[in-house]
This record gives sequence, C-alpha cells and structure tokens, in this order.
Amino acid sequence: MNGARGLIGVITNNQHEVFQQAVILGVREAAADRGYRVVIDSIAEDFTQPRSIALDLQAMSGIIVIANILPDEHLRELYEARRPMTLISHQVAGLPIPSVITDNQRGMGLLARMMIEQCGCRRLVYIRGDMRQIDAVERDQAVERELMRASLMIEPGLLLDGQFEPALTGQLMADLLARRRDFDGVLAADFQMALAALRALQRAGLRVPEQIQVAGFGDGIEAAEAGLTTVAADVVEQGRRGVRQLIGQMEGLRMRGVTVLNTSIIARATTRWPESGAAR
Amino acid sequence: MNARKVTRTQLRRHNRLLILRAIYTGEANTRAALAQATGLAKPTVSELVTELIDGGLVEEGGQGESSEVGGKRPTLLRFISKSRQVIGASIDANAVHAVLVNLDGTVVAEHTALLNGARGEDAFDVLIEALNGMMAQLDAPLLCIGVGVQGFVDAEAGIVVRSSTLGWRRLPLVERLRVRYQKAAILANNTELAALAQFVFGGQPRESTDTLVTVRVDETVEVGVTLHGSDYHHGGEIGGLLVSTAGADGQFERQRIEEMLRWETIARRAAALKAEDPRSLLPDTGLTYMHIRYALAQDDRAAGVLYDEIAGPLAEVVAWSVALMDPDFVVLAGDLADLGEPLLERIEAQTRHLLSTDKLYARFSLAEAANLSALGAAAEAIQTELSIL
Repeated sequence: MNGARGLIGVITNNQHEVFQQAVILGVREAAADRGYRVVIDSIAEDFTQPRSIALDLQAMSGIIVIANILPDEHLRELYEARRPMTLISHQVAGLPIPSVITDNQRGMGLLARMMIEQCGCRRLVYIRGDMRQIDAVERDQAVERELMRASLMIEPGLLLDGQFEPALTGQLMADLLARRRDFDGVLAADFQMALAALRALQRAGLRVPEQIQVAGFGDGIEAAEAGLTTVAADVVEQGRRGVRQLIGQMEGLRMRGVTVLNTSIIARATTRWPESGAAR
Repeated sequence: MNARKVTRTQLRRHNRLLILRAIYTGEANTRAALAQATGLAKPTVSELVTELIDGGLVEEGGQGESSEVGGKRPTLLRFISKSRQVIGASIDANAVHAVLVNLDGTVVAEHTALLNGARGEDAFDVLIEALNGMMAQLDAPLLCIGVGVQGFVDAEAGIVVRSSTLGWRRLPLVERLRVRYQKAAILANNTELAALAQFVFGGQPRESTDTLVTVRVDETVEVGVTLHGSDYHHGGEIGGLLVSTAGADGQFERQRIEEMLRWETIARRAAALKAEDPRSLLPDTGLTYMHIRYALAQDDRAAGVLYDEIAGPLAEVVAWSVALMDPDFVVLAGDLADLGEPLLERIEAQTRHLLSTDKLYARFSLAEAANLSALGAAAEAIQTELSIL
C-alpha cells in the first residue's frame, strides 16, 4: 500500500485515448493530494475484443468509471453492492449513481449562439452525432433551440448524420459539396467530425473562415493544431472533480445527481469572431 | 447573558463588515482610506483589518501612492474572493439545483438531483444528497448554506411554513441543516431569491434599480420582490389567484392562474389551435416554448393567439405589481422566458391597457438561467454573513 490511504480503481475503455488520458491525469492529481493511489483498468484497448474487469474490486476503496464502457446492468450490480462509485461523462437513467458531466446543452447552445450572433452565420450545416447517445440528443436539442431563437432552422438537406464517425462525416461533407455550396457555416456535435468536415472543405478549395466558418463541440490537441474553434470543459478538472465526488462518498457523504462543469468557447482560426483567437 | 458585551460584539462585527464591504466594492483599499470612508478611528481600522487578514478574507499586496504631503507609501489591501465558499440551493417539485460559489459570486461547480416524485422526508433526503454533492467539491472553507424553497417560508424562523409541491409543512429546515453541517444556513422563497439574484447578478444598473419585481412561471406562478436594493426582499406563490378569461362562448370565466399558465394547458391549447389550422408551424410532437416563438416569428396565427392568451393573465399580475410598487424593473423568469421579447411586448401593452396609461416607467426583461434561485440563495447567504453584495 506504500502508506497510501487506499486504492481508487479507474475503469475505462482505453487509457491512451486523448479524453481518457486527460481525465486520468486529473484523477491521479486529486487522488495524490488526498493520499490515495490509483489503479487503472483499461478494458477495451482492442475495441474489437473488450475483456472483463481485471481490478480486484474488493480491494478498492472506490471506483471511477469513465464514459459508458460498462453495461447498465453491471453498474446496477456495483451500485447495489454499495461500492462508492462515480461516473464520469455518463449517467444511467433510474440509477442514482453520482456523476460528473460536462454541460452538453449549455456548451453546445453557447457555440451555436456564437456562430449565429457573433459570426453572423445564417445558413448552417449541422453534423449531428449518434442519436442513440444522450450526448448527441442533448447537443441536437441545443442547436435547434438556438436556431429557433434566431428564427432559423436547419434545412433538411443541410443536416448530416455524422454519427460521431469522422470518416463517414468526411464522405457526407464531400457529397454535400458536390451538390451544393450555399451555406456559410458548419457546426458539428463533436470536434473530430468538425475536423473531418474542415478537411473536406479545404480539399474542395473553400476558404475557411472567409467563405465557410467551422466549429465543433469538445476539444483536443488535433483541434488546437488545426486551429478549430470549439467549446469545451476542462477535462483534467473533470477528473479532479470526479475524485472529490468519490472521496466524499468514501467518507460517508450520501449523494445523488450530477455535478455539472461549465464549458467555455475556445475561439480559433476557423471562425471570424473574435479577430484574434482567445479562450473565453 | 451579558447584554453590554453582546452589544460590543455586534458593533465590532458591524464595523468589521463595513470595512470588508469597502474593500470588496473598491471604495477604499488602504487603512487611511478605510478610516475616511467608514468614519472609524484609524487604530480601530487597523485592528479590524488585522482581524480580516488573520481570518483570510483580506490580504496585503503592493503599495499605493503617497499622499500629497508625501510620507510613507500605504500598503494596499485586497479582498480574497476564494477565501471562503458558499453553497446555494433551490428545490422545487422537480429537482434540486445547487451551486458552489466563491465570495464574488463566481460559480465553481453546479449539481442537480432529480426528485422523481419524492415528497416529504424523501424530498428532504434529495436536498441533502445534492448539498453533499457540493460539499465534496469545496476548495475553501464553507461560509454558509442558502436554500430556496418553492412555497411559503418564514425566513426569520428558518421554517418552511408550507410547500404544497414538496409536501412540507412547518419544516425547521435551517435548524436541521445547521445541526447536520455545523454551519450557518439561511432560507427564503425561490422566487424571492430569483429576484435577488437578478438584482445582484442580472446586469441591471444597480444605481438605478431600487425596486425589482420577478414573476416566475413554472409548475406554479410566484412573484418575488427586492425593495431598496437588496435591503428587503420577499416572495410568494400566487398560483391560486383567480383570473378572468373569455371562454369559447364569449362569456367570462375565472380560472386559477397556475392552471392557465401550466405547460400542459398551453400544449393542449396549442394542439387545439393546430387542429383548427393544420398549416400552423406548431409541431404536432415535441412542442417547446421555443417552437412557439419560432412560429410567431414566421407570422403563425396560432402562435399569435397563444402569445396573447399567455400574456393576458401575466399582465394582470404585472399591473398589480406596477400599481403597488412602481418597480424599476419587471423580470419574467422560468421556462416561459423562452417566449422572449415578443411576450414581454404583449405583457407590457396589456399592462398599459389595464392601467389606462400610455407609458410605463418599469423596464421589462427576461431571466433564462435555470439556476437563478440557487444563485440567489448563495447571494443571500453571502449577504447575511458578510454584507458585501
């Protein structure tokens, strides 16, 4: 145990992915501050062959589960076994396991409103995610809401089902560009799809942001390198807050519900506002 | 108890808060300037500043300019907004919203827990579980907790007198929170707190806002008021108020205002209007206030009828509020605020008609934030403990 107060187990799909890496960094920092060691169980590094959990759950003081890697039934079993547990970026309807999430609706609404009000976009292409996921549905609702606020709607022909798949999105965007180019902005439900759309626009010879402005939800190194405007929460902070929530339970605080972290716009080169890109 | 000693303690606390407020607002940032601003003797100011520094609320940093006659440059004083944190929460029939804020009102984290039909003691448990969610996230010592409740409260006694939506009757909420968390707690009505939040954080010019009225519509209808800045505020539910409305046969009938403005009623009426006019842009499924607003912007007749029918009863409430209190601002809060400026314009026009006047001095605005009451609870808690806002 090396003098640690206990062990915190983290279950994730792939600890090497950008989002997971950042969450785990925050988890490690906050756990070390409070004298806990962290054990990672990365159970789907080969996503075609996910394995079962290898962690000795009985030896863990508490468990953090990142995203929707465990089936709801499995989470229910863990909850019913009264293991202190925190979910990060995931919620299970009808199961009061506390979680730490990013404010999807507010964040996406903020980005859509910026595209409309500050960037002046009037005819947007919207690339939505996998509508079986609550994140995709919430972001979709937020975009529709902001458009309606401005008396606008997405034309059916400008709504692309990217399903959170960059390759599919790139193809859909190329197909759209072959048919028509009468739009002034592209908004995507995640930044990977926005990047795929950006590449398709550039391949088609369109100038971004002069002719078309592009933005997407979430952020990562690739977005920064491409100069993509995004809206994001501090993911490392999400890991830190997740540990605090878990330790609170381990120390006897009964809790339920979601701790929601705010997002902020990271304006870069793919939009015309503001003139000089800066986080806000 | 020694009455004389208590009076001295209270006086010292009062003076300490005077100084803290002067530093917080930027009115004065040196010991000499504080003495001038507060009228307190310099040695008293020095002692109290030392107490504030020892308590971690104020820090010294840098040096100011010498006075015109020269001499030693004064040490500058700064308010430390992250030295304490406050939890504000609001509970209504659907959920508990909680916020963790620094002393300058910056929101550090938010927490939401659904009630899923919980009432009585079960609803109290959900409140505690949501507060615990914020307790776990504290970055600094907790100053106090503020809670807003939908219903009628006795703030001074710290008792929820009656909340029909939560099934609470004479619940000693403040005492139960104080015992559980060993911290000061305050209690107020949700809409009263929404009005306070609007006053403190809403962006209205403080110097020209003496009285502000907030009308909030969700499961019920509530009115909150701040008078003379943040000095006095009050709020209560008026969902049972009977309002006259013209029925289909042209006859006037009286209905409870919360029935008229409840979402289910509006959605039902929208469906009926859509049946009369199938070309209406109001969607058959998934209708929201924002859809109605969009339809109105496209000159949809059914949406226009809905706007007028919603504005009517609200104008009656606003007319009474304007006549009685002559507010500087009238703020519409709750989900209904999604109907936007066109609704405000209709309410204003109908209010003018009801009051037989061409001009209203009150300005109308919208508050869309879902956590407005929780923010107000935090503001009230900070104000009660430190008197700085």
